[in-house]
Amino acid sequence: MDFLANFWSNVTLGFGVAVTPFHLLLCFVGVFLGTLIGVLPGIGPMTGVALLIPLTFGLKPNAAIILMAGIYYGAMYGGSTTSILVNTPGESSSVVTCLDGYEMAKKGRAGQALAAAAIGSFIAGTFATLMLMLFGPWVAGIALNFGPPEFFSLMVAGLTVVTSLAGRSLVKALFATLFGLAIATMGIDNQSGVPRFVFNNPELMDGLEFLVVAIGLFALCEVFVNVADLKGAVMERLNIKGSLWMSREDWKRFWPSCIRGTLAGFFVGGIAGAGAAVASFVSYGLEKKSSKHRDELGHGAIEGVTGPESANNAAAGGSLIHLLCLGIPGSGTTAIMLGALLMIGLQPGPLLFIQQPDFVWGLIASMYIGNAMLLVLNLPLVGMWVKLLDIPLYLLMLFIIMFSFLGVYTVNNSVQDLFLMVGFGVIGYLMKRLDIPAAPVILGIVLGKLMEEKMRQSLVISDGSMMIFISRPISLFLLLLAVVAITNPYWKQIGHGVRRLFGGAPAA
Amino acid sequence: MFKKSFAMVALVLLVCVGFTASSQGAAYPSRPLEIVAPANPGGGWDAMARTINRVLEIEKLYPQPVSVLNKPGGGGAVGMAYINAKKGDDYELVVYSPPLIINTINKTFSQPYSTLTPLAKLITDYQVFIVKADSPYKTFKDLMAAVKKNPNAVKFAGGSSPGSMDHLAFCKVAKLAGINAKDLSYVAFSGGGEALTTLLGGNVAFVSSGTGEVLTHIQAGTVRALAITSGERRGGPLKDVPTLKELGINTTYEVWRGVFGAPGMSKDAQAWWGNTIKKMVTTKTWKESLEKLQWVPAYEDAAGFAKFLKGEEKSYKELMTDLGFAK
Repeated sequence: MDFLANFWSNVTLGFGVAVTPFHLLLCFVGVFLGTLIGVLPGIGPMTGVALLIPLTFGLKPNAAIILMAGIYYGAMYGGSTTSILVNTPGESSSVVTCLDGYEMAKKGRAGQALAAAAIGSFIAGTFATLMLMLFGPWVAGIALNFGPPEFFSLMVAGLTVVTSLAGRSLVKALFATLFGLAIATMGIDNQSGVPRFVFNNPELMDGLEFLVVAIGLFALCEVFVNVADLKGAVMERLNIKGSLWMSREDWKRFWPSCIRGTLAGFFVGGIAGAGAAVASFVSYGLEKKSSKHRDELGHGAIEGVTGPESANNAAAGGSLIHLLCLGIPGSGTTAIMLGALLMIGLQPGPLLFIQQPDFVWGLIASMYIGNAMLLVLNLPLVGMWVKLLDIPLYLLMLFIIMFSFLGVYTVNNSVQDLFLMVGFGVIGYLMKRLDIPAAPVILGIVLGKLMEEKMRQSLVISDGSMMIFISRPISLFLLLLAVVAITNPYWKQIGHGVRRLFGGAPAA
Repeated sequence: MFKKSFAMVALVLLVCVGFTASSQGAAYPSRPLEIVAPANPGGGWDAMARTINRVLEIEKLYPQPVSVLNKPGGGGAVGMAYINAKKGDDYELVVYSPPLIINTINKTFSQPYSTLTPLAKLITDYQVFIVKADSPYKTFKDLMAAVKKNPNAVKFAGGSSPGSMDHLAFCKVAKLAGINAKDLSYVAFSGGGEALTTLLGGNVAFVSSGTGEVLTHIQAGTVRALAITSGERRGGPLKDVPTLKELGINTTYEVWRGVFGAPGMSKDAQAWWGNTIKKMVTTKTWKESLEKLQWVPAYEDAAGFAKFLKGEEKSYKELMTDLGFAK
């Protein structure tokens, strides 16, 4: 009872802070700028927040954080737009959205894809905020149980997603994953400080930038494939077929994947602290395993957009829990927000909820409002975005090239990255011709570095004993989950065999 | 039509000529300034660069536009290569801290730190060694006794690679306490936040960290700071943390930050920056920023800074050669 009374007084306090004309305006400016930042590839949430920090100078703490949080989740929202329209991921967590989003666009269903992404993001964002409100400190406590061994096992479970990313051949998908894992070993090794595959090139010391590879393999590859296939058909368009809005069938398929994506994203981002990109991959794998329409995934299924997009927003909300309750940034963007909060004179961390309740609850209330604003802002934009597709293909290809170069250059201000991107575009083209899927490469890069790091940290802690991975319950559970996921397709066959052996009736 | 455009071109040319003439003739500074942060937004180097940018603008100390350029990668190696390519350019500044020296000694940088033009040491921070609130190690003496007994069993973590600051800070202490630093067991994380989570989750015995990142946890009592590497006691939440000297280990460890010009910066420009930085560190905006970011002022002019860097190089070289990190 006490808890509830407290809760309500906090919520009223929060909305009292957030619902002032000035704060509402800031919230709107934030989500609007955020959406723009998200749509422009390369300028991801991290750079966006960093660029706009000067705007917050001179603002009161409440106002500053409302603005920054707006930019942050606005950018998470906008990232899917270019994935769906031009196969160019705006930030790392929207790479998976390309897989089915762009396929939907090709089938003339870009409107539905954009709407599903926006609504899924809204629901997931609201859910994560609610969790932050009700159980923030508690979730933060659980998060601390995620040491290096648990993290490693989560990555192993994540890798099982590869089977779901495979096209026709699992062998080819495994090849692509290994390629990604190999790329992930480039750069200075975190555990020994030794540079690997750096070739004395300072720009390679941190390894290959993930977006460079992703944009090369997806966006540029798309351009090359089109150029090679076009021949006379340069005036073709990706026509929009039928209504822009989701049909009843779409809605029926939307809900289950949205709920799965939200829960998976919140677990990965909020509890494990593993970031939005990992969350989106895990969610895609989950769809492939549990969706009723799993066979359509990869060919423009709405689940392939809804799940990952819900997951990355839930993960983003989750990582705010780490920032506010522990003072530990769970992602690059929240690291920048931490820096900005310090500039304002606030110390996020265990004491924040007690010392600055109006600040914390004001922020939480503004997140509800901001999420609602984003939905209202984005749904009418769908019609406008879709018009972008109503141009001849050769023009669309030019757009893709422009967005790719712009996006990759702004990540590190590096020309070398542009050459690498073109190189990966060519590799992507060859892979496409050989029918090797590109998504597992990205998964390998996302998971590889973390997986190796966490494994070696665990082994230093355990003095080299592998038992650390199975002697800790959470870690063991995650590993078992991985085993189940991998062996899942074979169970039926094993069942068949067993039944035949014992002379039972053969299954139909 | 042709005449009109010709006139335009001529006008533009005239303006250009006039502009270059005036910029060559005028005294330093006559062009926009670029401050290179050799890391991504969000870290200490970026914060330093942006603070300088802000103070120069608000206090109107630099008459032209100022901007920050992030050149992340390789623990500052990309920034180092970039600034070395700007040799002789008086309008390029860069900020660095101890990794500049460390990466010179382990040859991560292709150019040594001495190619840069030191302008001023600006601020400093110190390392603290922290344990979780419920740790059996109540004092630094408890901890050191356990480390002495079995160095490999007492795992410690930090937010940087082995052979970088968080690791070396404790190695320096261990060495003076008569422990072979090579026997220590260090777990490297990619960032102080991750190391702290690992400590709070009970996965390591202690963490070596800059004070700024863990201050709020010390205040909240979730972690306990056993020792600080400053020469004298710090104030505020750190007032009860003993210095190494008080604990009988006669050393300090500084996480300084300073600003440099590009290689071969002209004498005029150096002199101008000498005066301007001296003025900058006395302004209200500067002092306020330092207080907010909990940075300790540690201004030293170009000559003092250059001397200080020499001392740092010597001390790091000894330590890193012992540990096998020098190349």
